[in-house]
This record gives sequence, C-alpha cells and structure tokens, in this order.
Amino acid sequence: MSSKERSTVSVGAQTLSLSNLDKVLWPRDGYTKGDLIAYYRSVAAPAIAHLQDRPLTLQRYPNGIDGETFFEKQMPRGMPEWVERVTVPTPGGSRSEVTFPLCNDEPSLVYFANLAAIVLHVWTSRTQALDEPEFVLFDLDPGETCTLRTLATVTLAIRALLAEIGLKPLVKTTGGFGLHVVVPLAAGYSYETAKVFAEIVARHAAAELGELATLQRTIAKRPQTAVYIDYVQVGLGKTMVAPYSVRARDGAPVSTPLHWAEVEAFARRRSGVAPADEFAKLTIRTLPGRVKREGDLWGARAWKKQRLEGPSAKANRLWTERG
Amino acid sequence: MAHAIWSGAINFGLVTIPVKLFTAVKTDDLSFNMLHKKDEGRIKYERVCSVDGKPVPWDEIVKGYEYEKGQYVLLTDEDFAKVNPEATQSVDIVEFVELDKISPMFFDKPYYLEPTKQGRHAYALLREALADSNRVAVARVVIRTKEYIAAVKPIGDALVLELMHWASEIVASDTLDLPGAEKLPEKEMQMARMLIDTMSVDEFEPQKFSNNYHDQLLTMIEARAAGKELPKAKKAPARSQVVNLMDVLAQSLEASKKRRSDANGKPAEAKRRKKTAA
Repeated sequence: MSSKERSTVSVGAQTLSLSNLDKVLWPRDGYTKGDLIAYYRSVAAPAIAHLQDRPLTLQRYPNGIDGETFFEKQMPRGMPEWVERVTVPTPGGSRSEVTFPLCNDEPSLVYFANLAAIVLHVWTSRTQALDEPEFVLFDLDPGETCTLRTLATVTLAIRALLAEIGLKPLVKTTGGFGLHVVVPLAAGYSYETAKVFAEIVARHAAAELGELATLQRTIAKRPQTAVYIDYVQVGLGKTMVAPYSVRARDGAPVSTPLHWAEVEAFARRRSGVAPADEFAKLTIRTLPGRVKREGDLWGARAWKKQRLEGPSAKANRLWTERG
Repeated sequence: MAHAIWSGAINFGLVTIPVKLFTAVKTDDLSFNMLHKKDEGRIKYERVCSVDGKPVPWDEIVKGYEYEKGQYVLLTDEDFAKVNPEATQSVDIVEFVELDKISPMFFDKPYYLEPTKQGRHAYALLREALADSNRVAVARVVIRTKEYIAAVKPIGDALVLELMHWASEIVASDTLDLPGAEKLPEKEMQMARMLIDTMSVDEFEPQKFSNNYHDQLLTMIEARAAGKELPKAKKAPARSQVVNLMDVLAQSLEASKKRRSDANGKPAEAKRRKKTAA
C-alpha cells in the first residue's frame, strides 16, 4: 500500500477510512502512523476505560514528533457523527460553551489516532459530574539532573504520608520523565477540596523531604537535582495525560500504570540512572505485552474510591503538631 | 553559583583586593515573542533605509548623533574607542560615607563581590572595618566600556557593589506641587501614627509578597502550552502559607457535604449528545 492511499477498516460498528498509514511519525525509531493506530487498538480496552466520558484534548502531530504540534481544544470540524461529544459551559471564557470529543469506543480511538493525535489529554472528571474530580493528582516532575532514585524516593515518601493518614494512592509514569500519583476519590468532592488537600500533602511532603523536593513553580528557580511536586494540576478544565497515552518523544514512550513494587525497585537503583533511562522501556512496542501480562494496574480492582474526611482530620492532628 | 560577569580588583590606598562580580538580583519578567497571528511566524525586523527604502547590511551602518533637527554628527568605532574610559577593571574607592547619608534613590543595581584566593584576607578586613564604622565606600567602577559610580556595602558575609545613578540622572521633585507640613491637627496625626503602629512589623519579610501578575501569567501560559482550557480570571487569590490550609480544607469539605445533601446526590451534568443511529 502506498502511503498516499487510503485504506478502509472495520472497527466495531464503524467503517473507517484511514490515510497515510506508512507516514513515519517517529523518524529516529521508524514508527509510523499505522504503528500508532495498532498500538492504541491493542490497549483499547484499558485505555478507553480511563478515557470514557472524560472531555478530551487531542495533541496532534500531523508531520511527526519533529513537526509542529497543535492542541484540539474543542471538537474539530468534520468529526463523524458517531464520535460522542460533550458541551461544557465556559463561564468567563470568550465563547459561552465549548464542545469536546469523548473517546468512548474503539472506533473513536482509531479515528483520533488516524489524526496523528499522539497524546491524549483528559479532564480529571467525567460528564456525569464535571465539577467533581475523580482523584487528587500529584505530578512529580524531576529536575534535569534528578536521578531515578531520588524521584522514586520522593514518590514513596508521598505514598507513605498518604498511608499515614489512611489513603491508598496509585502511580503511573507520565510518559515523559516523571510520575503521576493519584488518590481516587469517592463522589461528591469539589475541585476546591481536592486542590487544598493536595496542597496540604505537597507542602507537608516538601517540608519533610528537604532538598529532595521543591514546590517552586518557576522552572528556573528549581534545584535541578530535586523533584518538583506539582499539586495544582487539578481544577475544572485542567487535564492530565491519560493512562496508556503515547508521548511524542523518541522511542514512543507510553504513560504506564506501575506496581508500587516497581517504584520501590527504582529507589534501590544506583544513582547514575536517570528517570528517562528506565521509562524508555515502556513504549508502544512493549506495552501491549505488558498489559496482556499485568492487566490494567489502574483497573476497577485497584481503583478504590476513597473519602477525605477521616484522612483530613488525621492530617490535621498529625501534621500540624509536628510542623 | 553562576559564573562571574566581571573580574578585577578593589583599590583603596595601597591595598588591592582581587574580586569577581556576580549578579545579585535577577528579574522575574516573562519575555514574549511577536508572532504573525495567522500562522504564528516569528516577526523579523529588517533594517531599512528611509531614503532608498532598501534593506541595509550591517557594514553600511554608522552611528549618528542628531545635534540639530536633521543634522547629524557621524561617529565611527574608533571615535568611541578614543573617549572610552580606560578599561581599568577596577573598583577605585574614592571616599567613605555613612550609609544613610546617601539617598536610597541613588542606588540602582546590586552585584555580589567575591574575593579570589589571594584577596580573602583583605576582603574580610574591608568588610569588617566598613561594618564597624557603619560606613560604605563610594567608588568609581568601569564595567565593560562604561564608567559608573558605585557603593561598596557590607551585607552579611558579602561585600555588595551597588551601582548608583549619577547626580545628573536624578530628577528633582521640586517641580511637583506637594503639600507642606503646616496646619496638621495633632489629633489626626495621632490617628495616623496609631494606624501605622497597628500595621507595623518587626522585620520586613519580602517572601510574604508574591508577584501575582507574573504567577498568574505563567500559570496561564503553562495551561495553554499543555492544551488546557484557561482558568477563569480570578481576583487576587494568593493563598500563602499564612492562611491555615487545614481550616480551608475543613470548610471546603463542609461545603461539599452540604452540596451533596442539597443536590440529593444528583451532581451537575453537562449537556451530552449521543448519537443513537449508526
């Protein structure tokens, strides 16, 4: 098949016309758009479980990862009727409402991949209750010279602090250099609650961790050996790179849910190892096998929705006396 | 620490202290590029001659001083070199004065001075002597090709070189219409003093003040860069460490609880369109 040709495939109930499947999106790895589509199809079930009903922003790379990228911050024109969508009012925005696509089935996922939408950014809430975040998020971003060991140590410290007040977090790679730690929430909490709670944990963690962690938002002022604990990524309309989303970097790394035991092993690694060295192993090539073997580590069984009242009271008791 | 921006020596009397100069303040300002709205192309500047309308290469450009409307004196690089202050690479101390004798308006930009190995002893000596006598040194300094007046002050363990404005650069305030101190009722003065007392602090803590405009702008840029919808413009939020976050959390949890019972467990739902027929 020549790259200019279109090919027609049946996905679920839909017939899709795919274009330029031979187009190379990762020039140094040789991965094509066809590879991207094949990857997303192979992890469709767990990927869709996390994309389902969450307003979606597509980050497209029509000319590959070296080319220009753009964000589809609203429903692109010309999407087929069968792609589900949600219209969200935007108080204070320039438009009164914005329509986002949803990725609720495999045909939609394939359709997006065919648009060279390498990276999928989702809201932290679903259409059923857009103003209620489903989790508290800590985005742990290592500085340029921060080691995998430091990143893991900080991540485990946050897990320990959360455990101390009775919460069980989950962890995934961002697909870049960092890790995402989330605390799944029971229904009914506001963004405000999630944000303040995250800030308390982050401030306490940063105080405990000293030079290993920083809360400094200005990149230039962060110590490059430390982990930046970003607790402000939860809010109405803020997004997270979805689990199983591919990233537009060499090697085509994937945002991958991890076992805590894996993070514990990272913390024992020698200090010369950079986070990227390790996360480069989690790519569109290795993920299908891993998911088959491990299942979805963020799946329904692990995703324990938790209440914050008890833990908040505990934090108030334990952390305010100490500090 | 970053690398030195200058190295030279402090001279006073017969003493020479070899030092390096380091930036002591940096700006938080964000810089922006100008782009063509349509295709986000960078805007380029072109040097165009106003007489023939054609672009002019660098080697055909000279500097001119407009001494009278439309009349220029042309100066070449050699001309500038002739009047250049000698690049002495030194901080020549002229005199010493008590710090509060210099109006703060004169101070422009501080730099740290760090002694080289040989200069450590003399550096410490100068610093301690200045601190003891509560004086600062006034010096002439040449940095790159420009000459400055500067003060050398002891601050903590460091000597700080603070570039100063020339007297001719300071604009006098006597052209302004300002009220005098006559006829101020004592009662009102007392009130004003009381207000000042209640708002007084023992120490100035600059970290209490954050650059909200800058932070919000940065948040907005980061959000856009990540493809996020923009946060609504907020009234100066700034939750700082000062606020007890635990109280905020307790209030917020209480609000969530109330909201749940009010809504009877029915959260807000957005309009959602689902296609029924294939």
